[in-house]
Amino acid sequence: MPRLSWCPRACAFALLFVCLPCSSALAHCFVGARFFPATLATDDPCVADELSLPTVSWSKTGDVPPATEWDVSGELSKRITGDLGISIGDTWTQIRQPGNPTLAGFSDLETTLQYQLMKNDQHELAMLLGLIFDWGGTGASNSGIGTPYSQITPTFYFGKGLGDLPDDAGALRAFAITGQIGYQFPTSSYDVAQGAYIPQLLVYGGSIQYSMPYLKSEIKDYQLPDFINHLIPIVEAQFSTPVANNYGNSPITTGTVNPGVIYVSSYYQVGLEAQIPVNRASGTGVGVLGQLHFYLDDMFPSSFGQPLLGGTGAAPRQPSF
Amino acid sequence: MQRISLMRTWIATASALVLALATTAAGAHAFLDHASPLVGSTVAAAPHEVTLSFTQSLEPSFSTVEVIGPKGARVDAGKAQISGNTMRVGVKAAGPGTYHVHWHALSVDTHKTQGSFTFHVGQ
Repeated sequence: MPRLSWCPRACAFALLFVCLPCSSALAHCFVGARFFPATLATDDPCVADELSLPTVSWSKTGDVPPATEWDVSGELSKRITGDLGISIGDTWTQIRQPGNPTLAGFSDLETTLQYQLMKNDQHELAMLLGLIFDWGGTGASNSGIGTPYSQITPTFYFGKGLGDLPDDAGALRAFAITGQIGYQFPTSSYDVAQGAYIPQLLVYGGSIQYSMPYLKSEIKDYQLPDFINHLIPIVEAQFSTPVANNYGNSPITTGTVNPGVIYVSSYYQVGLEAQIPVNRASGTGVGVLGQLHFYLDDMFPSSFGQPLLGGTGAAPRQPSF
Repeated sequence: MQRISLMRTWIATASALVLALATTAAGAHAFLDHASPLVGSTVAAAPHEVTLSFTQSLEPSFSTVEVIGPKGARVDAGKAQISGNTMRVGVKAAGPGTYHVHWHALSVDTHKTQGSFTFHVGQ
């Protein structure tokens, strides 16, 4: 399949916007009194109308000598119904390694179909199923940034706020956790060009987050500066472990632990995290990950922020800052 | 050159969104800005009313507040008075202890919000 140029990619994004009719129901990730922000390295446990643009990361790879890698990506998420959503995203990557030519290009186009399994407001619990599809041949496979084969990753996501703890738990109730686990398998078992087997991977991760907005509106108002009351300190982690068809490849689990903070506003959020490799194979030194994220359901409540079909019957919750 | 063009496209798209954000900001949502008594605070004597101030104007017909006293019974005076972005409700004297406040708000652009908190009366 020939590699898509930038123009058709832009058209694909634009088409998603243009095709959005008006209906009812709005939401991003509110579960009872809890708001789960869009996490940077993993995913939150809700279908939503959101746009991450851009997400930028800088890191040094685990190669010898290490290569410097820049990734700039965008992702648009759109609800089809109140519980069913799709997203489309892509990443532009540049890799510079001393002594080697600079590689740059798009990774494979990624689409995700997600279904909201449940939301329990009282226990601040959300569960989500997703099917991630990386479309082989749509990226710069000649430079190794894209792949000639597709990859499919069924994924389970969850989020749980601790707001249902007894009042005695006090400020601990502002904590929340999210997690996800997926099994990634390629549509081909052997990469002829690379001369290597393509492993099947267990892809997993999660976050621990502390919501200052929740602390202020649900637990105790310390009358902190307004800026502080918009922050959600967070530690994310993401891992990948080869579990099958890994002949001749490294069996090592790779991943990063990402401490950072997310500033949450009414219509957008800004996140910044450090990326700490868990081992040498995962990278060299500490990288940086940043994201600007828009809540389309709040920005365009009567148009883009509506599901394509029908509604949930429930209007969205907003963080109470 | 292609990279520069790509970056320009991203910057233009992000700028357009920020502009759209700015132009739609008038139709925002009702966040709890502050409450009296303060969320989680301890006051010496039971208040005569609970006041909630939101970041946006409310739809009075669909915005409510309920106050539960230390003995588990409702102690609010009934229908809340709503004016602009402020919701207030009278509170019957119920002695010292922990009071629970549950509120639901509908902003003028029809977004629902809700929340709950406690405050304490006495030592």
